[in-house]
Amino acid sequence: MAKMNKKWVVLCSAALGAIYAAEYFATEAQALPHNSERSQLSIPSEASSPINSAAPTLPPVNNVAPSSPAESAPTPSSSKKMYNDGSYIGIGSNRRGSIEVTVTIQHDKITDVEISRFAMHYSDRDVVGLPDEVLQKQSAQVDNVSGATYSVRAFEDAVQEALSQAKNA
Amino acid sequence: MYMDTVVDIQVVTEQPQHLVEASIDRAFAAFRKVEDACSRFSQDSELMIACRRIAAPVPVSSYLFEPLRFALEIAEWTNGVFDPTVGKTMEECGFNRHYLSGEVIESFADASVTYRDIVMDEHNRTLYLKKPMVIDLGAVAKGFAIDLASRELQRFERFVVNAGGDLYAGGSDERRNVWKIGIQHPERAEQNIHIVEITNEAICTSGSYERKSSVTDGVHHIIHPRTKRSPNDWVSCTVIAPFAMMADAFSTAAFLLGEEGSKALIEQAELKGILISSQLQIMKIGEV
Repeated sequence: MAKMNKKWVVLCSAALGAIYAAEYFATEAQALPHNSERSQLSIPSEASSPINSAAPTLPPVNNVAPSSPAESAPTPSSSKKMYNDGSYIGIGSNRRGSIEVTVTIQHDKITDVEISRFAMHYSDRDVVGLPDEVLQKQSAQVDNVSGATYSVRAFEDAVQEALSQAKNA
Repeated sequence: MYMDTVVDIQVVTEQPQHLVEASIDRAFAAFRKVEDACSRFSQDSELMIACRRIAAPVPVSSYLFEPLRFALEIAEWTNGVFDPTVGKTMEECGFNRHYLSGEVIESFADASVTYRDIVMDEHNRTLYLKKPMVIDLGAVAKGFAIDLASRELQRFERFVVNAGGDLYAGGSDERRNVWKIGIQHPERAEQNIHIVEITNEAICTSGSYERKSSVTDGVHHIIHPRTKRSPNDWVSCTVIAPFAMMADAFSTAAFLLGEEGSKALIEQAELKGILISSQLQIMKIGEV
């Protein structure tokens, strides 16, 4: 069931992406200002810190305040965590556009992957199933679909970038 | 006015005015572009030009390709209960007049047409119609335009794009960014039957209380493609979704599916909904 939502979200963001990709490639110089701005800026500043709102709103529990101490209890306290909990944005791009993903991590587990922006000149069908694959494999490396190499690679790069930001230094 | 609706855009920001105005201009331009591409009411829209070419691949722009493709996905998902090829039936029910020019449109369509008679080629960006038909994108195009317009405004702290009650409310200021949206009472137009809070989300309502058919009694602007009637389980279906195109299409599909199907539809897509029955009972789906 969770897959369905992702599918519709990807379809919608791909639909928007198609418009922007087309306009971007038509007038390469005058690209969408906030789009290009974002892809440059997000790596050092915006993306490196977890999105604040995402973490507390994630569990669909009614009691907001008291839930956080209770939740932190089951975390293994002895071993050092590999990742910090939170949602991280990563962007992968190539000559034909870019993919932005939001990866959510809880207790060293990838709990959600969302294609938050798809601005590729390729079909989004190539990547619709990939977020679920990442969840299953718990890895940025997904099976390569033949003929879709470039968009799949951009997707992997985006996930990898998000994961490296999540790394517990 | 665009797409037979008043479009209202609000922006709250401390950013310079010229930036705001330029963005709002681009947001309105998005509505114009989608309307020029997707209108069923002008002979020279991209959609109607494409509809006149049967059994040949017709290259179309993304402004038409994308919403149509989304409509076909929903058609597939609902097994054709939602079907964009319902356009001819809508014409016959009197939904055939351009809201600005007043011109009446009369098209030819095959009686047996379904969404399966539309073939879209992803790579060549073409549309291929197997039979003569009239495609109605009323349930997706407006939502798509709202999404495109919203995207132009994303940098601002707070904004709303409201197209006749279907709207996206969002912005970058996460702390102060909750919008209270009232859902109109189906019988008392000046009253809200329910109020929801949304943030960076779209909300769309399909209701039977507006846009009634002038030709057929009991028929309004949401028509079941098989029965050619308007279903009556609901008087109003509201869906909240991350995109307006999604909220738009799902609220229409929910209306068509009737009592059992609509709840399942919204739940499976993990969306939120407020459905109001003809006895004015409210059914809430998700946390609303």
